[in-house]
Amino acid sequence: MDFETTIGLEVHMQIKTKSKVFCECSTEFGAEPNTHICVICTSQPGAIPILNRKAVEAVVKTGLALGFTINKQCTFARKQYFYPDIPKDYQITQSEPPLCSKGKLAIKIDGQEKIINITRIHLEEDAGKLIHEIGSRKLDYSLLDLNRASVGLMELVTEPEISSADEAVVFLNELRDIVRYLGASDCSMEEGKMRCDVNVSVRPKGQKELGTRVEIKNMNTISGIHAAIVYESQRQIEVLSSGGKLVQETRLWEDEEGITKSMRSKEGALDYRYFPEPDLVPFDLTDEFIENLRKELPELPKVKEARFIKEYGLSEYDAHYLTSSRDIADYYEQALDAIASSQKISVGNAAKPIANWISTELGGKLNADNKEIKDSPVSSENIADLVSQILAGTISGKIAKTVFEEMYNTAKDPQTIIKEKGLVQISDENALSKICDEAISESAKAVTEYKSGKERAIGSIVGLVMKKSKGQANPQLVNKILAEKLKF
Amino acid sequence: METINLTIEEMQKEFAKGALTSVEAVKNCYKRIDAVNPKVKSFLQIRKEKALKAAAESDAKIKAKTGGALEGVPIAIKDNFMIKGEIMSSASKYLENFISPYDADVIEKLKKAGAVFLGRTNMDEFAMGGSTENSAYAKTANPWDLERIPGGSSGGSASAVGSRMAPCALGSDTGGSIRQPAGFCGVVGYKPSYGLISRYGICALASSFDQVGTFSHTVKGTAKIVSVISGKDYRDPVCEPNDYIDYTDGLDNASLKNIVIGVPKQLNEYETDAAIADAYKDALERIKKQGAKIIEVNIPAYKYVPALYKVIMCAEVSANIATFDGIRYGYRSPNGISLNDEYAKSRAESLGYEVKKRILFGTYVLGAKNYYRCYHQAQRVRTLLINQIEEAYKQCDMIFTPASLQMPVKFGESLREESDIFIMAANLAGLPGITVPCAFSPKNAPIGVHFLAKRLDDANLFKAAAAYEKVAGFDNSKLPM
Repeated sequence: MDFETTIGLEVHMQIKTKSKVFCECSTEFGAEPNTHICVICTSQPGAIPILNRKAVEAVVKTGLALGFTINKQCTFARKQYFYPDIPKDYQITQSEPPLCSKGKLAIKIDGQEKIINITRIHLEEDAGKLIHEIGSRKLDYSLLDLNRASVGLMELVTEPEISSADEAVVFLNELRDIVRYLGASDCSMEEGKMRCDVNVSVRPKGQKELGTRVEIKNMNTISGIHAAIVYESQRQIEVLSSGGKLVQETRLWEDEEGITKSMRSKEGALDYRYFPEPDLVPFDLTDEFIENLRKELPELPKVKEARFIKEYGLSEYDAHYLTSSRDIADYYEQALDAIASSQKISVGNAAKPIANWISTELGGKLNADNKEIKDSPVSSENIADLVSQILAGTISGKIAKTVFEEMYNTAKDPQTIIKEKGLVQISDENALSKICDEAISESAKAVTEYKSGKERAIGSIVGLVMKKSKGQANPQLVNKILAEKLKF
Repeated sequence: METINLTIEEMQKEFAKGALTSVEAVKNCYKRIDAVNPKVKSFLQIRKEKALKAAAESDAKIKAKTGGALEGVPIAIKDNFMIKGEIMSSASKYLENFISPYDADVIEKLKKAGAVFLGRTNMDEFAMGGSTENSAYAKTANPWDLERIPGGSSGGSASAVGSRMAPCALGSDTGGSIRQPAGFCGVVGYKPSYGLISRYGICALASSFDQVGTFSHTVKGTAKIVSVISGKDYRDPVCEPNDYIDYTDGLDNASLKNIVIGVPKQLNEYETDAAIADAYKDALERIKKQGAKIIEVNIPAYKYVPALYKVIMCAEVSANIATFDGIRYGYRSPNGISLNDEYAKSRAESLGYEVKKRILFGTYVLGAKNYYRCYHQAQRVRTLLINQIEEAYKQCDMIFTPASLQMPVKFGESLREESDIFIMAANLAGLPGITVPCAFSPKNAPIGVHFLAKRLDDANLFKAAAAYEKVAGFDNSKLPM
C-alpha cells in the first residue's frame, strides 16, 4: 500500500525586543545566569506583568507580512502547569483569539509554488532554563536560570498541509528569511531563538481523514527536523504496514541515535486549565496602530529578489544571495546609490559587477571570518568605488583583487590604496609599447607559433607584459599593441 | 497628651500646632498595643524601633514645615503588603520568613507622604476568609466582644483601629474583606473602584477583585489617606491613569440633599439580625431627613453573588497561589523525593485548610470538562449582575444597605453565606463601597451601613458617606476596652 505523509508545524520564535514581554529586564542572550531578572519574571508576591508594546508590534508585523487577519481584540490567557522553569507556574499566552488568524506562505517546491496555510500566530512568554549538568558532569540537583523567563515568543501554527521533510525545511527557511527581514526575531536555532514542534501523520494514499497524529519535540536544528520527519513517517508506515496501530502521542527526537522515542500518550496529556489573564485587561488595537505597522513593512525577500533580477539584470543566484538578508540587500543598494551619486558610471553597468563582488569576494571573506555584513570592514561606498575604478580602466580586475584584499584588511578606501601602492593601471601606449617590445624579444618561440597561426600563443606574451608591469598594464591595450606589432 | 481617641485629622492639627509630636503619638499607640494586643491579637509583628525613628524624622519635617500629607501619622499595615526588607507572610506558614524585596506602590506613596508604619496586622491566610480565623499564626478577637470574630480577612487591621491601637490602617478587599470587618469593629472601611489604587506589591488573592483600601474613624480621614495612595501606577496595568485628586474636597459641607438613594428590593429576601434591621431602618430615616430621596431598586442577580464569587475567586486563586511551589522562596518541604512530590509536600505542609479547599475548587472549575459549565457561566452571570446594577444606577446615585446582615459570630461558628452579598457585589462589579458605623446593638456591638457608588464615582461616595456620618448619631468616643 502507498502512504502519504502529512505534517503540521508549531514554530516558536523569540521576539526581538530590548526588554522582556512582561517586564523591563533585558533579553540579551548569553548573560551570566540570573542577571536579567526582576520581581516580575521571578514571580515574587505582589508583582504584576506589564505588556511590552513592541512585542505586540513584532507579532502583528509578522502577521501582516504573511497575509494574516489581525484580531484587534488583544487578550491573554493563563496556561497552567507546574514546572520550575515557569516561576508563576502558569504561562501567559493567548488562547482565543490569537493576535493573528489565517495567514499563508507560498513556498517553492521543485520549481512549483505551493501555498501553506497558517492557522494562527500568538504572543506568549518564554520559560527559563533548567541546567542538569555542568559540562559532562551530571548534577544530582538542577540549576535554574531565569534570564530567559518571560522573554517574548511568537508561536506560529500551520495547517497540516506540508507533505514532506523537504517541504518542511523549505517552509522553515522561507519563514525565517521573512521574520528576520521584519526584524521580528533573529530566528537563530543555535541560541534557541527558533524552536519547532512537528506533527506527523501518515495515511494510505487517497484516504480523506488524516492519520493518527504524533507530535515530535526536541529538535534544535533544521537538519534534525528533516531527519526526525523522515524517521517518524517511516516508522509510522512500518507500524501500519505490519498491521499495527498508531497511538496519538508526543515523542522526543533523540538526535544522537537518530530516532524518536515516546514521551507521553494522549491519555497522559495535561489539562492546562486555560482562563483569561485577569492582570492584563483586554484592549483593542486601533486601526491606526495596525496601518502604521503595515506602512513600516519592508519589501520582503521574494519580492526583492524578483525586483533585483528585473531591475538590475542579476542572475537568480546573485539575486537570491543578495536578498538572503535585509542587511546584505541594503548594503547592495547602498553601493548602487553611491554609484548613482558619483555620476561617473551608470548604475546599469555597475549593478552586475557589484553584485558579483559582494556575493563572491566579500561574501567569501565574511563567511570565512564568521562575520555579518554589518560588520564588514569594506563599506558599501568603497566597494562601489572599487568597481568604478575597474570600469573606468584605472585598475585591472586582477589588481582589483589585491586592492580589495587591502580594503578588507585595513578598511581603507580603494583610491588611497591604489595611490599608496602605485597600482594605477598603465594605459600610456608609449610606455606599454616599450614593455611589449621587450616581451616580444624575449618570447621568440611564442612569436613564431603565433605567426604560424596559433593565435593562442599571444597569451604567454601578454602574461609576460603583465609580469613585467607588475600587473599594472591595461590588458586590453596590451592585446591591441601586441596584435599590431606582430602583424604579418 | 492622651491621643488614642484622636482621629488622624485631629492628630495632624495637634502636630501642626506643636502640641503633639509624632513620637508621642506613636509611643501612645505602642502603649495601647502593649495593653490591648495580647487580648485582641491584631498585630502579628510590631516595628517599634523603626517606627519611632521614622516618627522623629517626621517631627523634624513637621517643624520645618516640609512634611508630607500624612507626616507623622501612625498607620497599621495588613500582612499582605510588601515593605522592602520586612517580613510579608500573608499570615501563611508558606511565607513565614519571606522578606519583601521591594515596596508596594501604596507603601512607596505612604512613605513619601510621611506615614509611620506601626507593624503588620493579622489576616486570614492569603486573605481567604471572613473571620481572620484562617491565619496560620493567631486568632484575632473582636475588641467589642473578645469571644467573637472581628470579621475578615482584614480583621487585624479592623480590630487594631477599632480598639484604638492605631488611628488608621491599610487593608485589602477582595469580597468585602475591609468593609465587613469595619462594620464589626465600628470603624469606617473603604474599598475603592477597581483600578483606583495600584495593586502592585499586594500579595494577590483574586486579581480581578483585589483592591487596596483603608480603615479609619472618619470618612474625611479615609479620604485623606486615599488622596495619598490612589493615582496612576504603570506597574499595575488595571490602574486608572488619574493624577492627584483631593478626595477631602467638599466633605465638610457635604449634604445628602437631592441625592437619590437606592434600597435593593432583595434585602427583604434574606434573614437579617434584628439589631441590624433596626439600625438600618433608623439610618434610612436619618438619610431621608437630610433631604435624600429613597427609592427601591431591583437587582435580582444578587442571589447569584455567592456562587459566582466563589467560582471566579477560586479560579483566580488556584492560579495565583500556584507560584508558591517551594522552588524560589518560601517553605520547601525537606521530605520531597521527586519534583512533583516536593511540590505536593511543600504545599501540603505549609498551606492552610481554607487555602487548599479554594485551590482544589478553583482547579475543578477551570478543568477542561467544567470550564464552560462553571467558570465561563459565572463570568456571564457577573456581566448580568453588572448590567442590573448599571440599570439601577439610572434611577439612583448610591445603593445603601447594611454592611452585614449578621452580627459577628463566636469563634468557630459560621456566618450565613448571604450575610455579605450586598457588599460583595462591589468587588464583582468593580464599584467603590464604604462602610460607616451607624449604631451600637443592645449588646454594645457596633453596626455599620454601606454605601455603594458608581464606578470611579469615589469622590461622591465620600461626600454621601461624610454627610451621613454627621447625622448618624454614632458615638465615636466610646472605647471597646
